[in-house]
Amino acid sequence: MTKRQCSRWAACIAVVSVLLAACSSGGGGDNQSQSTQGTGADQFKGVEVTVLTFTGPQIAEPLQRRAPDFSQRTGATIKVVTVPFADLYDKILTDLATGTNSYDAFVFDPQWMGDFVPPGYLEDITDRVKADQALKWDDIAPFFRDFSASYKGRTYTIPLDGDFQMVYYRSDLLQRDGLKPPATWDDYLAIAQRYNGKDLNDDGKADYGSCIAKKRAAQSYWMSWSVAGSYLQAEGTSQGAFFDVNSMKPLVNNQAFATALDVYKQTTQYAPKDELNLDVGDTRGLFTSGRCALSADWGDIGTLAIDPKTSTVKDKVGAVIMPGSKKVLDRASGTLVDCDATRCPHAIDGVNHAPFSAFGGWSGAINAAVDQKVKDAAYAFLSFMSAPEQSNLDVTLGKTGFNPYRTSQFEDTDLWVKAGMSKEGADNYLGAIRDSLQSPNMILDLRVPKSAQYQGVVLDTAVAQFLAGELTRDQAIQQIEQGWEKITDEEGRDDQKAAYADSLNIQR
Amino acid sequence: MDAASVAGGRGRPGAAGEAARARSQASLGASFAVRAAFIWPALLAILFVSIYPLLASLYISLSRLKLVRGGFEFRFVGLDNFRELLVGGEQGNFLGVLRPLGPVGWAVMAAGVALLGWGLVRAWRGGASVAGMVFRALGALLAAGTLWLAARTLLAAGGRPGTAMVTLVYVLVGITAQFLLGLGLAYLLTQGLPGQRFFRVVFLLPMMITPVGVAYMFRMLTDTGKGPLQPLWAAVGLSDFSWVNNPWGARVAVMVGDIWQWTPFMFIILLAALEAQDTDTVEAGMVDGANRWQIFRHISLPAILPVCATVVLIRLIEAFKIIDLPNILTNGGPGTATESLSLHAYIRWRTLDLGQSAAVAYSLLFIVTVAALAYVNLVRRRIAEE
Amino acid sequence: MSPRRRRSVRDLPPAGKLAAYLILVGWAVVVLFPLYWLVITSFKLPVQVNSGPVYLPFVDFQPSLDAWRYIFVDLRSDTLRPYVNTVVVALSSSVLALVLGSAGAYALARFPYKPRLGMIALVAGCLALVAVAVALGMPPAVAVAVAAGCFAILAATIGRRFRRTLSNGDIAFWMISQRILPPVAVVIPIYVLFQHLRLLDTRTALIITYAATNLPIVVWLMRDYFAKLPWELEEAAVVDGASAFRVFRSITLPLSAPGLVATFLIVLVFAWNEYLLALFLSSADAQTMPLTVAAQNATRGPQWWYMSVLIQIMILPVVALAVALERVVSRGLLVGAVKG
Repeated sequence: MTKRQCSRWAACIAVVSVLLAACSSGGGGDNQSQSTQGTGADQFKGVEVTVLTFTGPQIAEPLQRRAPDFSQRTGATIKVVTVPFADLYDKILTDLATGTNSYDAFVFDPQWMGDFVPPGYLEDITDRVKADQALKWDDIAPFFRDFSASYKGRTYTIPLDGDFQMVYYRSDLLQRDGLKPPATWDDYLAIAQRYNGKDLNDDGKADYGSCIAKKRAAQSYWMSWSVAGSYLQAEGTSQGAFFDVNSMKPLVNNQAFATALDVYKQTTQYAPKDELNLDVGDTRGLFTSGRCALSADWGDIGTLAIDPKTSTVKDKVGAVIMPGSKKVLDRASGTLVDCDATRCPHAIDGVNHAPFSAFGGWSGAINAAVDQKVKDAAYAFLSFMSAPEQSNLDVTLGKTGFNPYRTSQFEDTDLWVKAGMSKEGADNYLGAIRDSLQSPNMILDLRVPKSAQYQGVVLDTAVAQFLAGELTRDQAIQQIEQGWEKITDEEGRDDQKAAYADSLNIQR
Repeated sequence: MDAASVAGGRGRPGAAGEAARARSQASLGASFAVRAAFIWPALLAILFVSIYPLLASLYISLSRLKLVRGGFEFRFVGLDNFRELLVGGEQGNFLGVLRPLGPVGWAVMAAGVALLGWGLVRAWRGGASVAGMVFRALGALLAAGTLWLAARTLLAAGGRPGTAMVTLVYVLVGITAQFLLGLGLAYLLTQGLPGQRFFRVVFLLPMMITPVGVAYMFRMLTDTGKGPLQPLWAAVGLSDFSWVNNPWGARVAVMVGDIWQWTPFMFIILLAALEAQDTDTVEAGMVDGANRWQIFRHISLPAILPVCATVVLIRLIEAFKIIDLPNILTNGGPGTATESLSLHAYIRWRTLDLGQSAAVAYSLLFIVTVAALAYVNLVRRRIAEE
Repeated sequence: MSPRRRRSVRDLPPAGKLAAYLILVGWAVVVLFPLYWLVITSFKLPVQVNSGPVYLPFVDFQPSLDAWRYIFVDLRSDTLRPYVNTVVVALSSSVLALVLGSAGAYALARFPYKPRLGMIALVAGCLALVAVAVALGMPPAVAVAVAAGCFAILAATIGRRFRRTLSNGDIAFWMISQRILPPVAVVIPIYVLFQHLRLLDTRTALIITYAATNLPIVVWLMRDYFAKLPWELEEAAVVDGASAFRVFRSITLPLSAPGLVATFLIVLVFAWNEYLLALFLSSADAQTMPLTVAAQNATRGPQWWYMSVLIQIMILPVVALAVALERVVSRGLLVGAVKG
């Protein structure tokens, strides 16, 4: 090679090296330095806490908004990292299981505790919570305190949000026609039938009676269980609504679940014709633009309905506890039997309600494998987010994605009125929330190892195939039962039984 | 119009020239160091990123995952995951629901088997080696098996195709449409029409959008509530048709999205190839009085045939991995109608059923390798020989 | 005469022109309508999107800058950082893939390789040994040394016995077969690989991964291109005493500019738009744009308005590059070269 070529090559190599050096920046610097124990504004000086959640604005926005305030108070730096919602579970699990530990805290779905707690990934915060005065732990509704945040009697998460499903209805339509909000699923179907095909928002187009998110691999497997729940569970949360606690047999091969599946399929008749492909974003959009008479959803419709950017039905929306059933499952015989005082101790007007806390309510948890100081700072941040001073405001803002979970949040309607609800609307919405939250028969979402396979794969696929006509009702039931039994056997029937009992806090 | 004589002036010398060329080529790269220096960086880069994942996922496909204290463990189960796919509980999802054949099915099977048999006989008469015949026989057997599966799921009453069959349909329909469209559009845009620069840029656009974005875009478009195509359906009389509730309607939607997105891939490569043609031979053909079709058929097409074969192979391999469109359009629904193999693996994977997911992925590997080998042997060899 | 004029010595007859234009305009409408829908969705408010399709801004609905403001003002650095990452990662990995890949393609097109099947099996076996040993906990350096030793011994002793050879075509097929496994199967092993190298959440990891996975495409596309180039030109240089590198750099590459550009665009697009590996190899600092697009589908359902904005800003640089490079694709340089 000539000298000129040599120097040219050298120049090329130099340029490439500079490029590579520039490119290899951004390694997520590890700057968790230890600091001396201070108080107040210096308490966590120099500590950086990395919190992982999904890309917002829901859930992530309040964390990001309040982080600077927390930094000022305590000196800690909060870094909020977000990933797409559909992949949050896998990102957390990969990070923890491979020991990478790039995240110090998570705001996630407590249902996943069934996979995260047994291997020891989450920090046990029972003692911290007991000693924390500012958190006002007792103000948190009993269900979220005792079930959602706990596993085997110990506390692992701090609730930031309360997730359970309710039914929403067009209060203006029902009022005009002298109808009461649906108390049973038969009522729901009757109302849906009545309004299906009529124009409900004065735009000249026919609208729908009922909008429920039935899309596969979206929210359908929760919605289906919201329908089935009141047929299956009547004796309180600890009875469990997915398996028989004593035998770990799935509660699907019985008359109750079959009836529920029929009801679920029947709602499709009064729904948009491509309801099978609608997820919760679509149904909410339809409801808040006035195209549905009824919908089943989490708490978001309440706050979305008062936002003029998203809604044309402000002050026309009512909420009610999830419709129930006058007949419940007799677990011994597998048949539906009428409700009475012993069978349905928590019935309201003879109807057994079982509001489903689907998903569980976004909560904060701490990675057990990080430094003590970081854990302290992370706990302080999560406690700060959940404290009534911050939380009570955040739950009134639709963009935060936080729904009420503290008793104090639905006793004071002023904040809601200030956020834009009418007084009657706020009373109605909060009343429905209170009825649900205070119900001793709330259903705890499935929280055993491989819950994602039970629900997200076996149940979801079978229900989707049933709705699409690929399977008959009984074939779908069989497929669910076989699929669930296979997973249970693979994980170990006794292990799963113990985990199920633990999640229901039965030995407490 | 003799293609051979035309090709003669294009740098493809006859036999004597071949030898001379080989000699001077040898002097170009005789040294071992030079030959190694050119190829080894690429080989090393590929090996670095592919060896470990290949072996790891093979092992995973033969095991089951369990989360335990402090990490996870893999329990070796041998071929259990594969057995599950082929004859166990997953068979309905993977292979589909098989039903007895009707008269149409039998007719198709008979025709297919006859065709394969004729191909084998022809190869034997043409003097193939024993090893070659064994491979051909295996290939024919697999092809017959696939045909039988297709007949029993697609043509039989009450049959339902599983993810393997659905993926095959996506690939065959998609590639045919993309290739014909891409070639046609590329050809039209080398005819010197005014404004062709504009079209060339516009036709490239779909491929440049991230696949996830394209899938969401099509979800918006096909939504019968908020999508813009409502007036179109109403005009055609389909306003009550819910494509999402119909298995084939949903599959067509996925295929339309796939064709929309990937035609530019064929288009740009074929355009580059057509543009790079030697204009002298084209001119010579025109001067000799050939019409446009003859020029295309006898000059352009043979010239770009190797590129066509390559681009179809690349697209074939990519098309088997289709996942974003079925996932985002319908999450694999209605039921399991639009689920592709990659989506099947993904659904298992995200719920931590890593063993089953890897088994599906390796089944995909097997199917595609067989398909690619068959394609390479049947098509590319023939083209290279021309 | 300019090259382009030569191509259509005889223009299409009017009927042919009409038919051609119908087809071209038809497909252009098919391509542009979804994009138009995307653009106007980015100017709509949520309630306008959900209540039904509206087509014309200012006529059917009042456009709003709400979505644009959210992405550029509210999210500022959360949009800028992934954007910069995407640009750097995609450009670097594409250049790398192009350089390594075209060298490999040239080699496969010009030099006859005859690797012995037995030796390959030996190398593969030793590499597998290294992988298994590292997985079981052996320090990598030791594992590599042991494997190298085994290889050396075995190659010297039984290496002579291997007769069966593979061809260039087989090497090329092996390369493209690396693309067959769907990303979902390899994402966790690759994650673990880069975790051991302590390169998680860096752009380097993404650049290496994308370059390696897109290499086969470059090799296949350029191999055909190089094979078609007339040998005479290179032969002349070889006779004059030029080295292979010289010939490759000064003669082959300039001549294959159209093919190189087309290939570069393709691998750039592949790297620009890749999702799953980017999701897992990044956490906070190395996130790329496809993640932000997918992230718009959260608990409230897809936020079409934000997503539209993100998709538009994602495709702009690539389109600009394509426009700029389109000239090169259509130059058709062979015209002058052969004559000379």
